[in-house]
Amino acid sequence: MAQQLPPGWTAQWDPNANRWSFTDTTTGQVTWDPPVSPAAGFVAPGASSPPLQQSPPPGSALAPAAGSRRRQYAAAQATAYYGDAASSNGYVAPAPGAPVAPGVAAPAQLFTPGLAEDPNAAYFSPAGGAAPGYAQPGQPQPPYGQSAYGAPTGQPQMGALANQFGQMGLGQKSFAQSVNLIGGPVNVNELQRDPPPIHLPPNATFTQHPKANAHHSFKRSTLNAVPTSQSLINKYKLPLALIITPYRSIEEGEEPIPVVTDTVIARCRRCRTYINPYVTFLEGGTRWKCCMCGLTNEVPQLFDWDQATNSPANRFDRPELNHSVVEFVAPSEYMVRPPQPPVYTFLIDVSYAGVQSGMVATAARTILESLDRIPNEDGRTKVCIIAVDYALHFFSLAPGATDPTMLVVSDLDDPFLPTPSDLLVNLSEARGAIENLLSGLSDMFQSSTGPESAMGSALKAALQLISPFGGKIMVLTASLPNVGQGALKNREDPKILGTPKESSLLQAGGSGFYKNYAIDCSRAQISVDMFLFGQGYQDVATLMVLPKYTSGQTYFYPSFTAARTEDALKFAHEFSEVLASPIALEAVMRVRASRGIRMSEYHGNFFVRSTDLLAMPAVPIDQSYAVEIQIEDPLTQPFVVFQTAVLHTTCYGERRIRVITLALPTTSSPSEIYGSADEVAIATLLANKAVERSQSAKLEDARDALVNKTVDILGTYKATMTSGGGASPQLNVADNLKHLPLLVLGLLKHVGIRQSAQIPPDLRAYAHCLLTTLPSQALIPYIHPNFYGLHNMPSEAGTVGERGIILPPALNLTSERLERHGLYIIEDGQNIFLWLGRDAVPQLVLDVFNLPSSAELKSGKTSLPLLENSFSQRVNAVINKIRESRRGPYRAHVYVVKEDGIGADASLRSWALSMLIEDRFEVGMSYVQFVQMLRDKVNSGSYS
Amino acid sequence: MGGEGWLFLFAVLAAAGLLFTMVFFIIMFSDLECDYINPIDLCNKLNNFVLPEVAFHGFLTTLFLLSGQWIAFLINAPLLAFNVNKVMNKTHLYDATEIFRTLSAHKKECFIKLGFYLVCFFYYLYRMILALISEE
Repeated sequence: MAQQLPPGWTAQWDPNANRWSFTDTTTGQVTWDPPVSPAAGFVAPGASSPPLQQSPPPGSALAPAAGSRRRQYAAAQATAYYGDAASSNGYVAPAPGAPVAPGVAAPAQLFTPGLAEDPNAAYFSPAGGAAPGYAQPGQPQPPYGQSAYGAPTGQPQMGALANQFGQMGLGQKSFAQSVNLIGGPVNVNELQRDPPPIHLPPNATFTQHPKANAHHSFKRSTLNAVPTSQSLINKYKLPLALIITPYRSIEEGEEPIPVVTDTVIARCRRCRTYINPYVTFLEGGTRWKCCMCGLTNEVPQLFDWDQATNSPANRFDRPELNHSVVEFVAPSEYMVRPPQPPVYTFLIDVSYAGVQSGMVATAARTILESLDRIPNEDGRTKVCIIAVDYALHFFSLAPGATDPTMLVVSDLDDPFLPTPSDLLVNLSEARGAIENLLSGLSDMFQSSTGPESAMGSALKAALQLISPFGGKIMVLTASLPNVGQGALKNREDPKILGTPKESSLLQAGGSGFYKNYAIDCSRAQISVDMFLFGQGYQDVATLMVLPKYTSGQTYFYPSFTAARTEDALKFAHEFSEVLASPIALEAVMRVRASRGIRMSEYHGNFFVRSTDLLAMPAVPIDQSYAVEIQIEDPLTQPFVVFQTAVLHTTCYGERRIRVITLALPTTSSPSEIYGSADEVAIATLLANKAVERSQSAKLEDARDALVNKTVDILGTYKATMTSGGGASPQLNVADNLKHLPLLVLGLLKHVGIRQSAQIPPDLRAYAHCLLTTLPSQALIPYIHPNFYGLHNMPSEAGTVGERGIILPPALNLTSERLERHGLYIIEDGQNIFLWLGRDAVPQLVLDVFNLPSSAELKSGKTSLPLLENSFSQRVNAVINKIRESRRGPYRAHVYVVKEDGIGADASLRSWALSMLIEDRFEVGMSYVQFVQMLRDKVNSGSYS
Repeated sequence: MGGEGWLFLFAVLAAAGLLFTMVFFIIMFSDLECDYINPIDLCNKLNNFVLPEVAFHGFLTTLFLLSGQWIAFLINAPLLAFNVNKVMNKTHLYDATEIFRTLSAHKKECFIKLGFYLVCFFYYLYRMILALISEE
């Protein structure tokens, strides 16, 4: 972390932006770029500099001996002061790291009477155009969330550019500030603001490190202040849960996760908690007290010893005492067997459907091109390829040989391995044969005509083959497994769509074969990824069971044809990203928490192996899990700690433990509970629960449960936090929860949950698996799409700003915003719709699509040309930014949608319009109706 | 000893057997909670007993029906219907992937069945003694 800086410069960690900022102490100049490149300097307004300069230096640079001098709160204090001053002056500080401190908003802001008086509302007038003073360009690039959907507008009176700057602060709290939902749209640009800050008591930790508490992209709680008893949770109706993304991608420029390499792992003897910044040292530092169970433990002998240099070291420099997210290199006690090599098995469907759609050719080419990207640093990676149609085609790839030998097994009921060796081969040793096989694979099966696919039997054979190692099975299939074991029938029945029986199509069929197989895989440390390319019915609901219980992922490409470049490109990109991503093998995850707290339910892709242990044969990058929490005994301590430990084998052959620690204060004040609720985490949890409900019961039950939960939250809020009893024309909710009804409406209208008799079960099932696995950063756009106007975007939008490409401001999702001459983007991370108004001027069409008029423009999937004009370049830049900014391997399709489309175009248009969730759509309510319905239910219900 | 005596003697033994099965189930579930056994092994083990238990109980109920023991039959009929319904819906087997979500329901069911078999056991015993006395 030692940075070479010119004299006069200092480096500071900015927790708000999660990156280094550099300050020239002589001129007060602050920049994000290391000062070796002096051109990129950025002068911040005065208001922002003092807190930055006083913020504690991070990392090993800090933490000398011990004691009280570490407890300096000046930074937070200064932020609070300047933030307050800035906001009450109505001055929006657009500088990086100039957070408007929440919770210290001026008293006048405590009650915001309706959004109609929002001065920024004018900004949302259909007139559009560049809002002067729009605070976007100056905002720092946070690693999470914000970049994805436009920068936050600095909102003085909302006062809520939440940040964790003051989390070590003076114990100030976030209190609920009521806002009225009736009478105006909510500001969708605020959806990406940070969760409410965590105000830990001042003596919670000895370290001043800005990363002493987990960033919300790793672990976020639905409540950033934990109620002291279960009865309070039941009373205030807000759910308590953690959203954990242990393996989120680390972006370029972001500091990697610190690794403790000396295998000195201090853990509590009783509760097995790993040592973390929230423990206390006793008896002159020879013992430490566990922050979870309170047991006093001995400090290990080598804790203060640097084994690399063989010299005494300062324990307060150790990463595990400063960072909330650390990795320990595990000694052999944590191994059941030596670290396994990464194993990739490809089961490729070469039946007629697979070959004809071009899937086989595209897949083979992608694997071939990705061979160098597959994690194989130590040359241990093993690969196996099995082609499947009416029989299983194995390929013997002897090391050194250049030509593969095909071995066909047609016994589907009891598939056996045709040869004991050379089927699963070392990638480096058999490289030549693998390359030859892949380049010839699609020609080999070019004449394939049969519709049969024995994928179930192939899965069994693959399990047999790799069960000594574990690893990954990647299934690529374009047809339903219809012969051999695990054969499925087409159970799609259009008559029962939209009826209560529909959920039977969303449950796994196939007489338990796939569930039992998933359990066998979990035992053998095998994870299955599904790539499905259905021309027709693919039974995603059944096949996605394998990834679900083996912590894999399902990818679905409906009506895939490689002849369409866009389809091939999307699949190749996603497949290649999946192949290249580092995976954590043979993992188990456990969530520990302070005494009195119990993990009650787990949601996500894994197998629950014991009451608190999740088995994950391979942890994919950027997959999210939700854990519901119960408080069994009333909490008396001022703060509680949640610790997630993932014991895993890296794909580079090292056994490691990733530990993520989150400390949250406890409270019994309703205002603080409401004021610290994180709407994004709540929406993520609700999405998980709604999907589970729609699979186990009916879709209608899932929708009702969503509405009831929202009504409960709003009703109790009204009863506890506002004076108004009885009927009220207003519907108040805490400012930090004001998007919750919108997000719930988004869920209700989501393709996975919406009431409709037209949605194929495959699409629903795929939506379900995305809703339960996407990390919050990608999930929120997925349920609440982003909507940008392109024809009237501000002049800086689409150009490179301080934090990459600048996105236009997001619009509310309503067709009122659509102008007849406009060009818009509606995107949810999976699809990007380019909406072209019916009266679009020919120049616009020419500039973007290089076509003389909109009549010649074909709607549907498209690749946008990059033309020699600035508008086209900006539009392309915006689309690229949207694609890049989301976590996960997904590459969104671009669809051109014409407002005046007819025939097939009309259904595309209706699809695009279905994403405008603030409008009425089919039987779905508009946002205004929905909020009124919520208000009426709140008024008629009795809450106490 | 007449037919009725033999029938209830058999029933007493059957009820005792079912009783022990339920105790076994409950012990296994507590083992799972304490992490002494993993869910896969547990389900494999218990699923071997589910159908025999249902079949045995069904056989006993049929015997009551055939021998005209209406009260004994009526006592057992609801449980038989419940079991048959579960088997028809294919939800009778324990699912290792969902076991932790459904554990409390399974335990409750086992406790209720345990109580039921216990009551039945004493009822059969009483009827057996009654039959033996009336014969003499």
